[in-house]
Amino acid sequence: MPRHVTRVRATIGASVTAALLFASPAAIADDWGTIKGRFKFGGTAPTAAELKADKDVEVCGKHKLLNEELAVGADGGIGNVVVFVRDKVAKVHPDLAGSKDDVLLDNKDCRFEPHVAFVQTGQTLILKNSDTVGHNSNVATLKNPPSNSLIAAGSESKLTFKVEEAIPAQVTCNIHPWMKAWVLIRSNPYGAISAADGSFEIKNLPAGDIELQLWHEKAGYIGEMSVKGKAEKIAKGRKKIKVAAGDNDLGEMVLDANLFKK
Amino acid sequence: MNNNPADVRHPRGPRPVWGMKLLVLLVLLVMFAASGCGATPPAWFRLNMVEATKQKLTPEQERQVATVISAMFGTPDNPVALPETGLDEAKLRLAAGPVRSDIVGRKNGLYREHCAHCHGVTGDALGPTAAFLNPYPRDYRPGIFKFKSTERADKPTHADLTRVLKKGIPGTSMPSFALLSETQIDALVEYVKYLSIRGETEIGLIRAIFELDEEAEGKLPETREFLVGERLAEVVEKWKAADTALIDVPEMPADIDLVESIAKGRELFYGDKANCVKCHGPTALGDGQANDYDDWNKYVVEWTSKEVNGDADKQWVNRAHRVLDGDTLEPRTIQPRNLRRGIYRGGRRPLDLYYRIHAGINGAPMPGAKGTVPPEDIWHIVNYVQSLPYELDGELGADRPMVARDRF
Repeated sequence: MPRHVTRVRATIGASVTAALLFASPAAIADDWGTIKGRFKFGGTAPTAAELKADKDVEVCGKHKLLNEELAVGADGGIGNVVVFVRDKVAKVHPDLAGSKDDVLLDNKDCRFEPHVAFVQTGQTLILKNSDTVGHNSNVATLKNPPSNSLIAAGSESKLTFKVEEAIPAQVTCNIHPWMKAWVLIRSNPYGAISAADGSFEIKNLPAGDIELQLWHEKAGYIGEMSVKGKAEKIAKGRKKIKVAAGDNDLGEMVLDANLFKK
Repeated sequence: MNNNPADVRHPRGPRPVWGMKLLVLLVLLVMFAASGCGATPPAWFRLNMVEATKQKLTPEQERQVATVISAMFGTPDNPVALPETGLDEAKLRLAAGPVRSDIVGRKNGLYREHCAHCHGVTGDALGPTAAFLNPYPRDYRPGIFKFKSTERADKPTHADLTRVLKKGIPGTSMPSFALLSETQIDALVEYVKYLSIRGETEIGLIRAIFELDEEAEGKLPETREFLVGERLAEVVEKWKAADTALIDVPEMPADIDLVESIAKGRELFYGDKANCVKCHGPTALGDGQANDYDDWNKYVVEWTSKEVNGDADKQWVNRAHRVLDGDTLEPRTIQPRNLRRGIYRGGRRPLDLYYRIHAGINGAPMPGAKGTVPPEDIWHIVNYVQSLPYELDGELGADRPMVARDRF
């Protein structure tokens, strides 16, 4: 056998041994980080305008309907801010890779619940109608085939998506034009919608440099924020962060009221 | 009598001056004749300025998209059909270019003769007559077509587009081109597909610029793999799939009792499963929903209200308004069809109505009944809808009295 082949084999042998030595289970577990943070409204919180139901008044008129484009909580937290990992994700944590439960988008009390749903490709989105009146769900996806089905009272319709979308797709009801919702479609589980208090969490991300995409239906791509009083410009709403193993707190991110004036 | 002032001023020496003038005139005449007074200047496809402005492309990026797209598709005078498009370049040549006769006396330039004045040279529905029409002509670029035999999100088949050209679209400005030969209609359908594939690929490229990673420095990769293998393929795949996306229509039950079926259809029309009443109105005069938009108009309305008017960059806002003024038409709300006129845009065969109810209308707010209303019930609705123009006023069950003007 020629000498250089032997040498190559020896090198491979050494690296395999090294890899085995360092790849203890603890080291693998440390490769995952969880990020969390909170979006806060910079300015006086606006009060959501009340919407008037002019269709199916006998049913929809009973409910107090609000414009949900901008949801600012009592403590200034901004709900429904969309956060997801923009990069191609090389690996997914085993806890998250398993079963993909169905995601529900309910037509309830003549509004959509939730206002923003997060669904992964291959996962089933159930468009449900819990009302006593008929609805339709017009899902305006850009990369997946758009759909618009009637959903009779008390029934449901199912959708799955093949490819991920760069921004959430709008869902509307043409029968009740005030009804609006959004669906974020990604090919991995690394996305979150901020809760009513503005907080969000994305668990078990692969550690390292990632680009977070920040989006809000009224602000669009969130181009600026301030953290601890320090202003930060974010081109196209792509926030670069380094995910360390364990917990990562992005802190309180203040989004100026001007961003939502659109 | 000499009325020439030149002769008066220069009694002895006017000839050379006139000689010069005549010579210059002659040269100009020759140049004019050589250019051909009937020659058309070369035609260009117009960049999709609305999408380019929406995605905030820089002038360099606009130039890149224009260059790349013209390398892929050619110009209105010299269309190129890459083999990957599946388009027949010979057919495109018959439809493209200025109106003229070719060497064997065959009429060329069919698109510009018959279509461009409304649909525009680029297929952007911005032809000179477009603004005067209601509804506006179709903009082919987003690749959305309403009247077809395929499922809602799918492309129309070649036969669907051929049918629209032959029959026209009743109730709109789209006439029938039944007087053209089969070959000519076939060439025009191919050309419409070409403009649509070109337009949709262009939109895809513009959006891809926005999606670029920072490392790309705002430039699209000019590789065959990206341009043809990804962007073009994404669009062409959908066109190729159209023939296999046909709506499966079960035959109307042969023993169906028409009176009974119409009664059932009426129940469904008003019921909250099919819910036709919500938009077409309790009188079916199309007055149930007056403030919705179709996709083409909605795109302009939402872009204007949400992004343009709220942007902090005033220079960009000014530019966006210029684009809105020059490249879009005043948005209009959509009218749900008045079902008592007996005019059906997508065709009046029971089959056509079945397609519309089953799949809904792509690009319009009309949702599909597929999955919610079983096929037999769809046939009942078809029968009821077909009976509507002939239903007696007394049977209306209307919220308001019938007005003759609304009816005819």
